[in-house]
Amino acid sequence: MVESLAPLVMAEDMAKKYGDFVALHPLNVEVHAGEFFGVFGPNGAGKSTFIKLLTGQLRPSKGRIEVLGVNAVTDPQKVKANIGIVPESESPPSFLTPVEFLEFVAKLRTVENLSEQVKHWIDWFGLEEKRDTMCKDLSKGQRQKVMLAAAFIHKPKLLFLDEPFANLDPIYQRKCRQWLLEHVKNGGTIFLCSHVLEMAERMCNRMAIINNGKVLAAGTVKGLKQSDEETLEDVFIRLVGRSIEEVERFSDEGVKDGDSEEE
Amino acid sequence: MNVPGVNVVSRDWDEVIDDQSMINRPLGTSAHEQQLHEPLRGWEAFSATFLVMFKEEGRKSLEFAKKRQMVLFPLLLALVTAITTIGLQFLVGDSSAQVSDIESKTFTWQELRFALHLPLLMFSLGMGTFAFMGHDAIVQRAGTKNYLLAAPALQPLPNSVAHFAYFIKDLCFYVVLILSPVVAGMAIGILLESLAGILTPLEWSSVPWTWLAMIITLAQGLAIAFLASALWMRGRPFTIFGPLLVVALGIAIGLGKFDLSSILWGLGVQNTQNMLSALLALLACLIVGLISSALIIDDFDVSVVERTELFMPMYQRLGFLGKGEIRLIVAKEFVDLFRSGSIKKMTVSYAIPLLVLLGMAWLVDFSEAPIPINLLSYAPFLGFFGFNFYSWLTILDSPEFMNGLPLRVPQLIRAKVVVYFLATSWISLIFIVLMAWRLDEWGALPTSIIVMFANSIYIVALTAFLMGLRPNKAIFDASIMIWFWIGTVIPLLLLFLLSFTQGDVSLYGNWWERASQDGLAATASMYDQSMVEQGYIGMIAISVALIFASALLWKLMDRRWGHAEFSN
Repeated sequence: MVESLAPLVMAEDMAKKYGDFVALHPLNVEVHAGEFFGVFGPNGAGKSTFIKLLTGQLRPSKGRIEVLGVNAVTDPQKVKANIGIVPESESPPSFLTPVEFLEFVAKLRTVENLSEQVKHWIDWFGLEEKRDTMCKDLSKGQRQKVMLAAAFIHKPKLLFLDEPFANLDPIYQRKCRQWLLEHVKNGGTIFLCSHVLEMAERMCNRMAIINNGKVLAAGTVKGLKQSDEETLEDVFIRLVGRSIEEVERFSDEGVKDGDSEEE
Repeated sequence: MNVPGVNVVSRDWDEVIDDQSMINRPLGTSAHEQQLHEPLRGWEAFSATFLVMFKEEGRKSLEFAKKRQMVLFPLLLALVTAITTIGLQFLVGDSSAQVSDIESKTFTWQELRFALHLPLLMFSLGMGTFAFMGHDAIVQRAGTKNYLLAAPALQPLPNSVAHFAYFIKDLCFYVVLILSPVVAGMAIGILLESLAGILTPLEWSSVPWTWLAMIITLAQGLAIAFLASALWMRGRPFTIFGPLLVVALGIAIGLGKFDLSSILWGLGVQNTQNMLSALLALLACLIVGLISSALIIDDFDVSVVERTELFMPMYQRLGFLGKGEIRLIVAKEFVDLFRSGSIKKMTVSYAIPLLVLLGMAWLVDFSEAPIPINLLSYAPFLGFFGFNFYSWLTILDSPEFMNGLPLRVPQLIRAKVVVYFLATSWISLIFIVLMAWRLDEWGALPTSIIVMFANSIYIVALTAFLMGLRPNKAIFDASIMIWFWIGTVIPLLLLFLLSFTQGDVSLYGNWWERASQDGLAATASMYDQSMVEQGYIGMIAISVALIFASALLWKLMDRRWGHAEFSN
C-alpha cells in the first residue's frame, strides 16, 4: 500500500463480547488522515466500546486492530503514547490538582517544554483560578476541561473523543469545536463518538450510525439523508428502527400523561 | 458500505475467520511520517509515577483526617511508644521494683520482639492486596473518585509499573507515618533516661535495627499480600496457588519445619543484627513485589454481566427489619456484597483471624501450657474482628448517589452495622462452638456467646459511630484513634482479665508461681470460689454495659452524622 494512501486506523473483524452479551458485532474499519469522523448512536449502542477497542483500552474478543502502524492488541501502550483520548465519563485523579495531573501526563508522554505546555493549556481552558484546586473539588465541566487538556497536551495528530463536550458550557464548546476543526484542517484526524447529532452536522465530514453493536449506515452527513427535507434526527430515528410517527406518538403520550397528572 | 476517507462495515459472526496466527500480521496502517513516541517503561515510568502517587496518598489521608489530626497521629504513636519503652523495664523484669524471683520472670526479649513483628505482619498482610485495589480503581474510574492507580487505562503507563509504584509508595508511606514515629518514640524513651533519670533497658544501638527490622516485616507482609492478590486476579490455575501455599506453610509451621526467624524475616534480622541478611531480606521483598507486579496484566475490561433480579427477593427475606428505609438499604448492601463477589473475600478475611485464635486455643490446649486462658478469654477477641469487616463494607460502593435520595447518612451506617451482624454472627458462633469443643469447656459456652456478641456489636457500633463511612481513612486521625483505643482496649482488657477467673480455674491464683516452679507440670493448689462468682458477674455486667453503650451509640449516630453527606 502506498504510504500516503494508507489509513491511520484500521480494524478487521473487531468484536467485543462480555460472556453472552455482544457489545460490538464484528466490524471492519478504516480511517484515513484528515478525517473528522463521528460515530453516533443511542445510549448503549456500543459507541464507547468502539472507541475503547481502537485505543487499546479494551482487548477485542475477536479481530485485529492497528493504529498508526502499531498493533493495538499487542502493544496498546505505544498506541496510547501517540494518540489523544478523551473518555466519556472518566475524571482526572481526584486528589491531584489540574496542574499536577497535566504535569504527570506530560512527563509520561515526554512532552518538551513541560511547564510552558501545562501553563498554556491551563490558560487555554480558563483554569488559572483552579490550577491548585484538587480535581475532586472541580465542577464536572472543569474536570472535563482537564481531561481535554490532557488529551491535547502532547499535540497528537490523531484524537479519539467520546462525548467530549458533554459537560462544557457553550463558550468552551465553541472554542473546542473551532480548535478541533482547525486541527483537522492542519492535517489532524479525529474520531468522535456522541449521541448529539448536532455535532455531526457542525463538525464531521463523515459519520456512522450504530445500534445494538452494529453499524447501520456510514457516509457523509448529506449522503445519509434520503431527501433535502429529511433532518439528521429523522435519519437517526429511521435507522435505529423507529418510525417518525411512533416517536411522535411517544411524545404526545408523554404530554398527555403530564397534562392528566396536573389535572 | 465504502466511502472515501472512512470505511466502516459490520459483518456477521459466521463471516469471521477465527485465526489466532493472524493476530500479529500488519494491517497496513501508517503514521504518515509522524515520529512515534515510545511509551515510558521500567524505571522511567516508575519514577514519573511514584512521587505523584505519594502526594496523592498524603492528600487522600489528609482529606479525612485534616492537617491537625494527621500530624497528631504520628505524635500519638511516638508518645505511646515512648511510654511503652519506659514500661519495658517491667515487661522484661529489669525494674528495681521487681525484686522477687516470680516477678522478675515476665517476658523474654524474644517474646517482645515477636509481639512487635507478628501484629505488624498481620497489619501489612491486610493492607497489601494491591491487585484487588487496582482492579477496583479501574472498575470505579468512571465514578466520582478516580485514582492514579487507574491511570494505565488511559495513559501510556504499564499497569504492572503503576502497581509496583503503588506497592513502593504504600511501603514508604507506612514507614514515614507509622514505623518512624514508633522508632522516634523509642528514642524519646531512651533519651528520658539521661534527661529525667527514668530507666529503660532499651539501648541506642538497638533503635536503628528495630526500625530496619520493622521495615522488613512491613515490606514482607505487603509483598506477600500483593502476590496473593495478583495470583487471585489471574484466575485459575493461579487462584489455587495462594491458598495451597498458606495451607502448606501452616502445616510446615505446625510440624516445626520452620523457626520463627525464617518466617518473620524482620524478626530474624533483629535477632542477628546482620546487615547482609537485612539487605537480602529487603531485596527478597522487592523481588516478590516485582513478581507480583509482573503478574498484573493490562486488562481494563469492566465486564458487562446480566443478572437475575436479586434486590426484591432479598428485600422480601428481610421482613424482620420492618418496613423502614433500613430494610431497603440492607437489601441493597447485600446485593452489593453478592454481586461484587466481596462476600467470599470478606468471609475469608473475617474467618482467618478467627482461625488463628482457634489455632492458638488448640496450641495452648495441646501443649498444656500453664496459662489460665479459657474459652471466655477468646470470646471478646472473636468480637473484635468486626472492625475489618465493617471497613470493607464501607468501600463496596460509592454512596454519593444517595445524596439525591430522601435518605440520611446515619441510616446507611446503621444498615451497614446490621449487614455486618447478619453476615458474620453465624461465623463467630461456629468458631466459639468449635473452641468450646476444642477446649472442652461446654459449661462456659453460653456466657462466652453473650460476651462475644456484646463485644462484637459494641466494637462495630463504636467504629461506625466514630468513623462513619470512612474507617479506612480514619485510622490516620489521631483524635478518632484515641477514642477508638480507649473505647476498645478498656472493655477488652477488663473482659480478658476477668476471664482468668472462669473456665478451668485450677491454675488460678498462683498460676505463675506454680508455672515458674514446675513448668509444664504445674498444678493448682488453691483458688477462691467467691472470686469465680464475682468474675462471672463482672463479665456479664460488662457485656450488658457494652450492649447499652451500643444502643446509646446507635442513638447518637444521628447527632454525629445527621448532617454529613454521603461520601466514602
